[in-house]
Amino acid sequence: MAFSQIPSVYLAFARTSFQMRMQYRVANLAGLTTNFFFLVVQIFVYTGFYAAAREPQPLSLTDIRTYVVLCQSFLMLMPLWGGRSEIAETVKDGSVALQLVKPVDFQAYWFADALGTAFYYLLMRSLPTFWLGKLIFGAVFPQQLDIGIAFAVSMLLAICLSIAITVSVRSVAFWTLDATGVNYIAHTVITFFSGLLVPISLWPEWVARIARWLPFEGLIDIPFSIYLGTLTGVDIWLAIGKQVVWTLVFIGIGRVLITRGFSRLVIQGG
Amino acid sequence: MIEVRNLSKSFKIYHHRKGFWGTFANLFSRKHRIVQAVDNVSFTVTRGEMVGYLGPNGAGKSTTIKMLTGILVPSSGSVTVNGYIPHRQRKENAKRIGVVFGQRSHLWFDLPVQESFELLRRIYRIPQEQYRRNVAMFDELLELGAFFQTPVRQLSLGQRMRADIGAALLHNPDVLFLDEPTIGLDVVAKSRIRQFIAQINTERQVTVVLTTHDLDDVEKLCNRVILIDDARLLFDGELATLRRMLSKERLLSVDYAEDYPDVRVPHAQITHREGTRVQYRFSPEKIRAAELIGTILQKFRIVDIAVQEPDIEELIKTVYEDNLILRKTSKII
Repeated sequence: MAFSQIPSVYLAFARTSFQMRMQYRVANLAGLTTNFFFLVVQIFVYTGFYAAAREPQPLSLTDIRTYVVLCQSFLMLMPLWGGRSEIAETVKDGSVALQLVKPVDFQAYWFADALGTAFYYLLMRSLPTFWLGKLIFGAVFPQQLDIGIAFAVSMLLAICLSIAITVSVRSVAFWTLDATGVNYIAHTVITFFSGLLVPISLWPEWVARIARWLPFEGLIDIPFSIYLGTLTGVDIWLAIGKQVVWTLVFIGIGRVLITRGFSRLVIQGG
Repeated sequence: MIEVRNLSKSFKIYHHRKGFWGTFANLFSRKHRIVQAVDNVSFTVTRGEMVGYLGPNGAGKSTTIKMLTGILVPSSGSVTVNGYIPHRQRKENAKRIGVVFGQRSHLWFDLPVQESFELLRRIYRIPQEQYRRNVAMFDELLELGAFFQTPVRQLSLGQRMRADIGAALLHNPDVLFLDEPTIGLDVVAKSRIRQFIAQINTERQVTVVLTTHDLDDVEKLCNRVILIDDARLLFDGELATLRRMLSKERLLSVDYAEDYPDVRVPHAQITHREGTRVQYRFSPEKIRAAELIGTILQKFRIVDIAVQEPDIEELIKTVYEDNLILRKTSKII
């Protein structure tokens, strides 16, 4: 892939994906309601849990509320949890082979498409959800500007990591007719170890230790811990470094899977 | 332009055992059989030619097209298009070819046609000037203007096909592959698309390979046909030659002066009778047309008489149904 191609073609793909989502704004309203519903449920659970807790918890109630608001706001930016992908569908039904008649790098195309979608959800889901969360449940902003910037960088990396992981997982469909099982297992494991359900700092030490060795904390726990100020100083840079490394690893895995998948497809037929 | 040498493609089809234990057995050992989709096919297409690639369903047409476009790797034999080996030099090949699959659109489903075209402009890095000229031309010939701003999912089949064909030609490809471009279209839409393809072919010297079931497509567009059946090449040559070779049987239409009760004649079968009009079918090998007409004139008084060749749709249908005749024919070729 020529580097000079990136701005023109792949930016256009991202923009296209954004435009296509814009056509389904009513559906988005329904999605927004769902996000808000989960937000309310989770916050009530935590509030009850904190009221009953005898010992002081590692995160304050305000922090945990903010964490939940962040989760519900930014969840949709990541293709793993956000919306369905037409590209993944074509991999599933084999019609992806038709992509080969276009002079385009398929993985980059998929990436650009997911980024465009993420940008759409940032405007249409993240901002409204966060605004509601702040208004109703008192979610807070980062304490300093540089923390905000570090969060923005980490969040962008989380999205890239999420895309890289999703592309790899969905590419399994090149081999099995029915990738639902693989997706389901991957989905459960990733959701658990990302910290989406419960922040990792609240976990028992030994489970938390496992999570720290896995790539998935880079999706949720790392960016939000930076936001809340739980991670500080050098730890921020280490965490961001981890995200970068894992993103590159999964881009590599995805690349191998896609190349092999296509060559299987062109040898065996769709 | 296109060189195909001893091209073959076989697929492994896995046998799925049925039932509860069968599913288990599938996990450990899977029987498969080899299906030969394309078997030792060779042909050459020169620049600017328009070739009809014909065959019944499952004959191997699409498999061949997929190998020519780089979507499938041949099991053996070789393919070159524009000097490129499609499956090895996929992107280089892709830049020089245009592909339309009648069954599936290459446009972005949720986008207006214009946006899809803009994306293709970027993908193929089409210079602005060329892009503007092509869009103007396609708009004039295919009347894209009426639905240029409409999302593809809202287009009628005919509109979608016109948009798809325009899209495949935006980057001025040297070769255009059309896989059943008129499938499911009405007469008007078909003729518009045929006119367009013919015009592009003459004006730009675009090489066109067309697979179709619709023999009208072939008759209107192609001088040359390649006929395959059961993975093998049966015929490669002019349509007229094919017609001559296959038309072993001819039709004789007679309009009698009276309504004779018995109009049977030896060596000819009555295929159709409507009052004084009778149609016979006969084989020139058994009886020559002149003899047959002579017999009829001796027995009856007639108003009009005409010898016809069966139309090619009928011919090819008999070809497909009667493989034996074809096997012989193919040896003659």
